[in-house]
Amino acid sequence: MSHSRRRFLANTLGASAVISLSAGIPRFLLQAAESNAATPAENILVVVQLTGGNDGLNTIVPYADDVYHHSRGTLAQTASQVLKIDDYLGFHPALIGFAKLLEDHQFAVVQGVGYPNPDRSHFSSMDIWQSAQRKPGKRPTGWIGRYLDEMQAAHKASDLPALHLGSENRPLALEARDVDAASIHSVDRFRLDRGEDSKFVAAVQQANRTTRAAGNELLGFAQQSMTSALASSQRISESLGKYKTDVKYPPTAFARKLSSVAQLIDASLKTRVYYVALDGFDTHSGQATNHAGLLGQLSGAVQAFIEDIKQHGHQQRVVVVTFSEFGRRVKENASRGTDHGAAAPMMLAGASLKAGIVGKHPSLTDLDDGDIKHHTDFRQVYATLLEDWLGWKSATVLGDTFEKLPLFKTS
Amino acid sequence: MSDSVARLSLTKVDPAWAWSPFAASETAPWNRAAAAHLHRRAGFAASFAELDRTLKLAPVEAVDRLLAGGESSGEFNQQMDDMAASTTSNNQPESLAPSWLFRMVRTPFPLLEKLTLFWHGHFACGADKVTETRMMLDQNNLLRRGALGPFGQLTQDIARDAAMLVYLDSATNRKAHPNENFARELMELFCLGVGNYTERDVQELARCFTGWEVSRNMFRFNDQQHDFGSKTILGKSGVFDGGDAIKIVVKQPAAARFIAAKLVRFFVTDDPDVPDSLIEPLAVILRENDFVISHAVRRLLHSQLFFSPYAVGRKIRSPVELAVGLLRALDGGTNFQTLAAALRETNQSLFFPPSVKGWDGGRTWINSSTLVSRANLVRHVIRDAQSKFGGGTLAGWADRHQLQQPEKFVDALAELLLAAPLPSEVRAQLIALAAAPGDRNRQLGELLHAMSTLPEFQLN
Repeated sequence: MSHSRRRFLANTLGASAVISLSAGIPRFLLQAAESNAATPAENILVVVQLTGGNDGLNTIVPYADDVYHHSRGTLAQTASQVLKIDDYLGFHPALIGFAKLLEDHQFAVVQGVGYPNPDRSHFSSMDIWQSAQRKPGKRPTGWIGRYLDEMQAAHKASDLPALHLGSENRPLALEARDVDAASIHSVDRFRLDRGEDSKFVAAVQQANRTTRAAGNELLGFAQQSMTSALASSQRISESLGKYKTDVKYPPTAFARKLSSVAQLIDASLKTRVYYVALDGFDTHSGQATNHAGLLGQLSGAVQAFIEDIKQHGHQQRVVVVTFSEFGRRVKENASRGTDHGAAAPMMLAGASLKAGIVGKHPSLTDLDDGDIKHHTDFRQVYATLLEDWLGWKSATVLGDTFEKLPLFKTS
Repeated sequence: MSDSVARLSLTKVDPAWAWSPFAASETAPWNRAAAAHLHRRAGFAASFAELDRTLKLAPVEAVDRLLAGGESSGEFNQQMDDMAASTTSNNQPESLAPSWLFRMVRTPFPLLEKLTLFWHGHFACGADKVTETRMMLDQNNLLRRGALGPFGQLTQDIARDAAMLVYLDSATNRKAHPNENFARELMELFCLGVGNYTERDVQELARCFTGWEVSRNMFRFNDQQHDFGSKTILGKSGVFDGGDAIKIVVKQPAAARFIAAKLVRFFVTDDPDVPDSLIEPLAVILRENDFVISHAVRRLLHSQLFFSPYAVGRKIRSPVELAVGLLRALDGGTNFQTLAAALRETNQSLFFPPSVKGWDGGRTWINSSTLVSRANLVRHVIRDAQSKFGGGTLAGWADRHQLQQPEKFVDALAELLLAAPLPSEVRAQLIALAAAPGDRNRQLGELLHAMSTLPEFQLN
């Protein structure tokens, strides 16, 4: 064992780990110990999931389209209300932060994103987006998870290669065969009580690493998860230094998550993908207020985040991408809301983007059972993110080759 | 358990054997471990006194006793209903979880609470959207009343439940523009599962529920907003209203299969690959017994499969099972407000399920954060000044049960709480933690805290 690897493990797991190196140590830690600590900082992807089905039509608004106004009796945004992008499209008025980012050439919209034969179930469609597998049947892994597995197989995975921050379950997108992506509620609370008592922690880590009889996969799963949890919690508490920022984030739980992500990026964790979610987009009734509130939260937090990472010099290597399981029906319902739909725009933020609108706004008259048809497959966006941003071949991760989009300045 | 069961696959299990009545044998004896398993699954772990009582009975009697509840169940539930109602006056939905947790810990009818929890995750409504505490409590009482009875009636009741009407926007479902939210989830999540209906069925079903509103926190039918036209649902046409629609949905062959599969996942195993052939016999029992839930539960608890290695230790312990089980096993009580708060950190906040799909359960209970939070919860319960074990300290509890030596204490906890055996090396490591001289109550607490971090503790 090399000196650096031994030292890394000693730092990470406590002195006892060096003595009893065993199979219980998560692979990602061993690999991190082997990987070269001096590699240059790499690009980072921040995935923002808009849970519930975001109404794309009232996000990037075709304010100059009569059909839009006819279809959206109470919800339509007028030419004087929207934040204009061009003479046809405008941001929903709550998206001040996004409009500002676009003005600063740090924002892009991919129009009409979806997939063939759209599924209108929240859960099935979310699984399709997260697994990037359209075919029905088992979807055990996510698109990011498979990317993590491939990186690990190529010995390119760092410690904590991906991190989910939020109180919901770890998303399917991060599920992998081999890599155990961390999922934490918040950086402050991710600490074992008595975590400061190194003797207790060492004893607990040892008891967790002790070999178990084979035969119960659930037991093995619990053992591996606990071993990584103890190591990650220690790693994160050690990494967080005295982070300072002048940026004022909005006082929302979602903004706090992005602020923690900025902090972790600056703490030079080698995490490549961060994953956060904002819930509440299932606006079947009383949409106007709720949706405006959510869009305001989203754009305010993302704008603050981009400003924050810029102040800390990471703006060139961070990109934010949003997605939702589907858009909503073109026609408003009787509850002043909208029901489950299909295609919708994806939004991206970051200084490395080729700013602007990608693709034309889908037709509001050529519909699929009342829903917008997609012209761009979401896996084209994933392929572009994987190849042009994360520098990874997309074909095996996505199970097929998808035509890339011109999203980045260098591409 | 030998290596021969290394990779247990349910696909090779004979359904006739699986659901035949449990017959104790050399490989699956009716002993303390089996009784503890039954209590952990049918309820929330047993105390020593409960284990002793159960072991005096034959397995089938033990299951029937769990299904009937203790003698004082009726009186207890009345008291609890009154207590819970008194917490709704200030309309803070957060006040509901502590009284439910208290009820789970003290009830002489744990299976009833376990099934109420099952239905809370099945017909999941969140107080964040419903906001009326009284509605959430009424729904909880509705689920408890119908927990063991006919599923068709429970579904009819829940469709007219104010909290559900608000949560899935039925309350604003008008004939001019039907709102599909409830109609979709009725088929997708409550009764049939994806693949057993079409988008057209969703749209037609939504029309049946138009005009179903909430007025003064109660269901009201508004005929002005109801669509009295003919509808076609799942191949049947007629002038159906919501009640007719539910009858049609629940009569689908897929419905009994869907519910049977969910009961197996809840009570028997987290294995995602339970073959249809193993589900079908339970579905048949439901169909032949007016879809009365207790029939299926009785069969699956008193079965060969339930007491076999295919089931024992094959579930991840849910946070509520972890917290309530710990307290019930140790005759404990604690500050239930702070316990409810700690449960939020472990991703099971009662009355605030993550979505209409409820809690996914199984492996999803576990991630880096929740594992740390689970151990922190146990430590919190041990340290809280209001926590009592058999009315006193943890050391006092140990004394009463003659568990003064750390090894006896470890073995006792393992018997009550662990669904998988502790490797002897780990057992020795735990005992060593309590070996140093010092305050005994503190040491035993530390030992229990350490135990709660182990993978064995995460199984149920």
